[in-house]
Amino acid sequence: MATQQNVNQYAKAIQAQLTSIVTPVPVYANFNRNFATEPKFITWHLRNVHQPVYAGQYQSNKGIDRPIFQISVFSTTMEDNFQISNTILQSLHGYSGLFGGATYGFQISKADVVWLYNGYDNEINLYTIHMDCTIDIPT
Amino acid sequence: MALPNKVLPGFSATLYMQPTASPTALTTANLSVYASVSAIAVSGNAVPVEAIPAFGQDDAVASFGVAGSRQSDKIPTQSAPTSMTITAAWNPSDTNLLLIRGDAYNGTIDRTFVISATDGTNTVYYAFNGRVSEFKIDSAPSAEAKCMFTIHPRGNQYGWSNNT
Repeated sequence: MATQQNVNQYAKAIQAQLTSIVTPVPVYANFNRNFATEPKFITWHLRNVHQPVYAGQYQSNKGIDRPIFQISVFSTTMEDNFQISNTILQSLHGYSGLFGGATYGFQISKADVVWLYNGYDNEINLYTIHMDCTIDIPT
Repeated sequence: MALPNKVLPGFSATLYMQPTASPTALTTANLSVYASVSAIAVSGNAVPVEAIPAFGQDDAVASFGVAGSRQSDKIPTQSAPTSMTITAAWNPSDTNLLLIRGDAYNGTIDRTFVISATDGTNTVYYAFNGRVSEFKIDSAPSAEAKCMFTIHPRGNQYGWSNNT
């Protein structure tokens, strides 16, 4: 039997983990017009939170959660963009252990990062790189 | 409760097992008695299986072919209750999965298992006595670790019940 995980805890842990990886680059949960003041920053978006549900009448008969959070790196130079993204890749891809630091963290079995694409947004004059990170959470 | 009178989703089925390491399996007669079976079908006895495999009877037939005869003959015999290979999400501390593991290690423990299927109001029970074998863990990445085992029912020891 497995309880439903707390997504609020996920959010705090993702924020804390990303912050610890890229500090002092700011990390935000939403875009929020940060491009107006920050030359480089990161946003993240949590999705695909889903513990498979199994047979029977008991709500707690579930599997593990494997949520995905998308990491978007923004910066005014392509060099910064790739450097920050590489730092995230080196730190997160294949990571196993405490995720989210001492305050908000929980154990994950594995983090799996997929580099989606890079680009440039002419409207905001920022380079962008988008990555997906899947985390396997024992439940 | 009467028999459910609806087409049931697969999700409606739950597997229960008798508790304790040394259970006394129900008698064949009691496997068809609602009061005996429903006592086992309580939340603490639920096995956290992913899906209930096909349950009921195997096909059973004796085939005869005689040389020179135009047709062979298939003679139905008594069908045994079908073996069930089950997958459960593996929590190493789950009380009931530990009992299953113990049964498989022992090999000769007879235990009553119950499958309930409900429409939310009424319930039908399929109860059988069986032994567990082939307990194994599949820890392939990208999903939870799976605990898989097979329950082999004892011959003739099964029954259907519901409270009318």
